Amino acid sequence: MSQVEVAPTVSPASMASMASMAPTVSGRVPAGVRPQTAAGFLALFRSEITLTFRRTRTIALLGLLAALPVLLGVVVKIETGDMHGGANGPAFIAQVTQNGLFLVFAALAVALPVFLPMTVGVVAGDSIAGEAATGTLRYLLVAPAGRTRLLAAKFLAAMVFCWAATLAVALSALATGAALFPMGSMTLLSGDTVGLGGALLRAVLIAGVVALSLAGLVAIGLFVSTLTGSGIAAMATTVGLVILVQILDSFPQLHAIQPWLFTHQWLTFGDLLRAPMYWTGILQNLGLQALYLAVFGSAAWARFTSRDVTA
Amino acid sequence: MTDYAGFEGEQSGETYRSRRRAALRLLVPVAVAAVAVAGVNLVPALASDGSPTLPSLTAEQLISKALGSDTQQLSGTVQVSADLGIPSELLAMAGHGGAAAAVTGTAGAAGGSGQAKEANGSAASPEEQLSALLAGDHTLRVAVDGPDKQRIALVQSLAEYDVIHNGDQLWAWDSSSNSALHLSAPQGAEAKAPGSKHPAAAPLTGLPTTPQEAARQFLAQSAASSTVTVDGTATVAGRSAYELALKPKQAGSTIGEVRIAVDSATGTPLAVLATGTGGATILDVHFSDVTFGAPAASTFNFTPPRGAKITEQKADPKAEKAQKAPELPNTPKDQRAPQGANGTNGTRVIGSDWTTVLSFHLPSNEGSAAIAGTAQGAKGRRLSGLGTSSLLKSLGKPVAGGELISTKVLNVLITDDGRVYAGAVTLPVLQSAAGVK
Repeated sequence: MSQVEVAPTVSPASMASMASMAPTVSGRVPAGVRPQTAAGFLALFRSEITLTFRRTRTIALLGLLAALPVLLGVVVKIETGDMHGGANGPAFIAQVTQNGLFLVFAALAVALPVFLPMTVGVVAGDSIAGEAATGTLRYLLVAPAGRTRLLAAKFLAAMVFCWAATLAVALSALATGAALFPMGSMTLLSGDTVGLGGALLRAVLIAGVVALSLAGLVAIGLFVSTLTGSGIAAMATTVGLVILVQILDSFPQLHAIQPWLFTHQWLTFGDLLRAPMYWTGILQNLGLQALYLAVFGSAAWARFTSRDVTA
Repeated sequence: MTDYAGFEGEQSGETYRSRRRAALRLLVPVAVAAVAVAGVNLVPALASDGSPTLPSLTAEQLISKALGSDTQQLSGTVQVSADLGIPSELLAMAGHGGAAAAVTGTAGAAGGSGQAKEANGSAASPEEQLSALLAGDHTLRVAVDGPDKQRIALVQSLAEYDVIHNGDQLWAWDSSSNSALHLSAPQGAEAKAPGSKHPAAAPLTGLPTTPQEAARQFLAQSAASSTVTVDGTATVAGRSAYELALKPKQAGSTIGEVRIAVDSATGTPLAVLATGTGGATILDVHFSDVTFGAPAASTFNFTPPRGAKITEQKADPKAEKAQKAPELPNTPKDQRAPQGANGTNGTRVIGSDWTTVLSFHLPSNEGSAAIAGTAQGAKGRRLSGLGTSSLLKSLGKPVAGGELISTKVLNVLITDDGRVYAGAVTLPVLQSAAGVK
């Protein structure tokens, strides 16, 4: 049982730096009263972002994601003869040879079930458990930011990583596609053709939808992360959950619960490639992600704000 | 008594009771989950279960309203959910045995696939794609502008299948195989085809893909032999509608009831729900959203994309007719005869209306490809290809007079001399049609 006094001399803006063990004393705040300012939260968030993206592990994960489309593109380029017109390969692969832009969609369709959730699971699962394991969590809590806001900052940082991961896949695919295949007007799923500008707009929309599709998983990962003091355990559990849920999603017998699985509507991003765009499935997907976010976000909050942090 | 840095409770200045607080906070996610699930389930239920108050109509008035509906222009989304209980092996054969064997030729159909390829070698052929509608849940986007312009899109995961009919041009486009099927018919022949006055008829197959067409076919055929009542009102796709309930007068059908929701303003059928005698849903076709008004003209313009495989098919007027014809024989909607195959395997229609039984010879192996090429639109019933007999035998169970394949709706009796009797009827009806006992 220990009593850690909140340092009485901390300015709002310095909370983040406090977390990285470099407090600057610049003003006096009564003990026990936390300054709840937007600037303070922003500083905390910025510190989390820095923490996430400065790690070698994060950069390696992004590199892995960026390598995937290159691999896909090269394979399609070499094996053009065999892939052409085949309906059995991954979605959109057959169209890549005609338009390099399709590599963006093909790469996202390949990355979404496994690679993206894996990297997101690593980042989200490790966010709190990892700090607990290395013993930095209690120092982080010394900052007068409050656990709720720390959790929110962790969540937002993980979401930013989702965007970065999706962009890594999409931009690398775009570059590879442009380098290896012709670019130009694109055939939509409906058989209509749109110009390069319209196609790029759809690619941007799709990247946004894919990144948001991972919000539910981030919340789950964060919750798992508050349950354990071991980063590895949290990461493995989160990634394992993704695999488990996708297996459940493939059983026809579980038809009744499948619409509630967070991976069920991930591939609806393809509906943006129809003419006119078909939003029903995408909105359902985003609604489902919001639901998971609410449930697991509040579960993470309930656990984290009432937990003994001893490490 | 434990106080930790960073606890929310500190600011209150009170003694912090950790365990009670933890228990209370754990209730929050539970409550959030409960509210969310209840909300998701309740809101659509509240939105759709409202029975609007509408002036009362007699059944006759409602039928004539539905049949007389002249809605020519609409666009919307249709949800199709079918559970006919047909074994998936048979469905696969129905889809692949004919045209599609060329592309995805299953081992069983290998013998005939060479011929089939010549007859109709495109993955975009409608029979295969639309036969998928007979099992599971599907989403269709439809746009209709008069009898000459229709577009139906079958929404699939990361893929789409489109049929676009515009005047004398008919395109079928399959995005997953990047292939298109083009059919151009003389305008005159098209206009004479019996189905063409019904705007939402699926081109080529005669499969009803909209509630409007399914209801129209059904009402035209079965109203006389049914007990028809107006059974309350409903809200479908945000529109108030009358519920028309039809029950077979004769015994012996496996279909218990067909309910049709008729739009109160336009008379357009918005939903069709068929249930078996046991009360299980067999077929549920309904608009999930619908707009009355002319769709954009560009909807019906189809230019095959660059690089697509295009299969040209000259439609000869007779074939066109044969394909359209199965729409309106006097049978309920999933009991149409493969009229195109008439001469080749001696198809007969026994009985009428709800207890129609279809009878034909099992195709011989040599003729199967030819039959497959012509007997389009007959769906689960049309059994062709190598290994048919043995597969059927393995699925069936022996009864008096032959083998019975029993599904939720369809019963198929294969007699020992190789004739097939099939229909949405009970076994005794099949047996009396076959002359057993």
